[in-house]
Amino acid sequence: MSLLEARGLTVRFGGLIALDGVDLAVEPAETLGVIGPNGSGKTTFFNALTGLYAAAAGDIRFEGRSLVGLEPHAISRLGIARTFQSSRLCLGLSVFDNVLIGMHPRRRTWLADFVLRRGRFRAEIRGAIERASHLLALFNRELPARGFVPVGQLPQIDRRRVEICRALASQPRLLLLDEPSAGMNPEETVELMRDLQIVSEEMPGLSVIIIEHDMFVIEGVSRRVVALNYGRKIAEGSFAAVAGTAEVREAYLGKETARA
Amino acid sequence: MLLVLLTEAGLFVLVVAAVLAERPAALGATGAVLLATLAAVRFVAPLRAALASAFARHRATALLGGAVLALALPFPLAASPYWTFVATLALVYVTIGQGLNFQIGTAGVLNLAGAAFAGLGGYTVGLLTVSAGWPSWLAVLAGPLVAVAVGAVLFVPILKTRGHYLALVTIAFVFIFNILMNNFEFTGGPQGIKNIPTLRLAGYAFTTKPAVFGVPLPAHANFYFAALAMAALTTWIIRRLYDSWLGLALNTLRDDEIAAKCCGISITRGKLAAFSIGNFFIGLGGAFYAVMVGFVSPPDFDFGYSLVMLSVIIIGGVDSIPGVILGACLLVPLPERFRFLHEYRLLLYGVVIVVMLLYRPQGLWPAAVRRYR
Repeated sequence: MSLLEARGLTVRFGGLIALDGVDLAVEPAETLGVIGPNGSGKTTFFNALTGLYAAAAGDIRFEGRSLVGLEPHAISRLGIARTFQSSRLCLGLSVFDNVLIGMHPRRRTWLADFVLRRGRFRAEIRGAIERASHLLALFNRELPARGFVPVGQLPQIDRRRVEICRALASQPRLLLLDEPSAGMNPEETVELMRDLQIVSEEMPGLSVIIIEHDMFVIEGVSRRVVALNYGRKIAEGSFAAVAGTAEVREAYLGKETARA
Repeated sequence: MLLVLLTEAGLFVLVVAAVLAERPAALGATGAVLLATLAAVRFVAPLRAALASAFARHRATALLGGAVLALALPFPLAASPYWTFVATLALVYVTIGQGLNFQIGTAGVLNLAGAAFAGLGGYTVGLLTVSAGWPSWLAVLAGPLVAVAVGAVLFVPILKTRGHYLALVTIAFVFIFNILMNNFEFTGGPQGIKNIPTLRLAGYAFTTKPAVFGVPLPAHANFYFAALAMAALTTWIIRRLYDSWLGLALNTLRDDEIAAKCCGISITRGKLAAFSIGNFFIGLGGAFYAVMVGFVSPPDFDFGYSLVMLSVIIIGGVDSIPGVILGACLLVPLPERFRFLHEYRLLLYGVVIVVMLLYRPQGLWPAAVRRYR
């Protein structure tokens, strides 16, 4: 059975059809690339998956359970974590805080522990900070030492890493990466690809859906690619096959009219 | 360690001197010394660094020293029941401020109905003691629960709205509360509720003038010590909640609701928790105020007081727990001290807040990074 299966997924904003009957499946431990020009519905697809947008029609099943109608926090707790195209870190909070929040749903201590049985809470949070340090160190050895620094003081690439760590901290089954290379220069993009490699080595069972504009990244990390245009799936298959499809070339480059 | 204790003792002496100085010349002199000292600490870098590291190394000593001085304050103020009362009021504002800051600062729930929730606590005490004959201490414990219950029931639908809408609804709530209290028969209308019996613990009435170590203190010193215990306990609880999963979740949903949702946090539940916990301490402060002054009436809980509570937070530092203490200890006594300026008092007060917002929006004692201690 597929880990995630979307069938006929449709999202409308008034008269605008942002997603139009998309069928898509993700297998366990697979990395799926999603490509498409601006406004083709890629991020809308993520927002529908995570419950931020309501689906007008169609069904999404995750491990056999329908996600339609669930609130975002409930979907997150089922094991779907995501990053955002433009960073959504809390810049005033510390690096550790930003990662620890990912572990919040799995906490085992409550109000009475925070106030009265403080020892239990401290023991748990110490373990959580250790795990956060471990995750951060996977990407950059220097990061754990800066754990109590506000995340706004970190460079762009480290912020993106913190955001990926936050998503991983919840121990998800499915990770959604929304254009992780956005705003990065070529060297940083190479570092990012190394980071994604580390993720798949550290968490072998994790499925990933990655939205990318950078074809170099898509080619490097995903074996299977889906192309969207105007909210519809126009191609699916290996990167080479999808990139070679006439419809995909047309979506990106415009219609070929005549050859010289 | 000596440096820490000396600093605290010196500050204590200066503050007491500033409070007790009767003639304008004496007040001017102590005020000048106080300002010069603070300026020296602020602008002489080595002094500042030395103090910061001393306080960081000897946290426990600093806290203990502060506690001893807070306990000692009624003694130099023994001759003045009025200033003992003002000091007590400052501690009531610390309690209320901690509750309100947990809502506004930590969770971003812009509650401008602080006065109404304090009023719910105060009026509950009035009604339960005068009309229902409850003992005062029990009524003081019931007051905050009523504030929490009313807040939870009325605001569940409203907590789903964001930022400005919530602020508007809470403003409306203060006015509705005032109109109701003015017009209900059973709350005494504009006259309010008079003759609320004073606190009585194990047969000891809080109106008796205590003599501690042979020093006769004004009756208000009883309330001072009780308020000190209340403010300390409140601060302790709020600090532990802030430095926990709850404080972290609330900070996250304040900064970015979408990110918080996608991290599995229920926005409604988080805000309701912050709102209820905050209202508990706001109601507690209001209930304590009612037994302290012995009567409640609508003008004691009007919108102006919501703004005073908000100012305590802004001056101290939004989301900062020590900031609330500093804010309350500055904002409550200072206007009293400058009472001789009459009408200009409130103007001065407004100017201070505008200057703060323009030049130091993080407050005098900004929030620090969460350390989970």
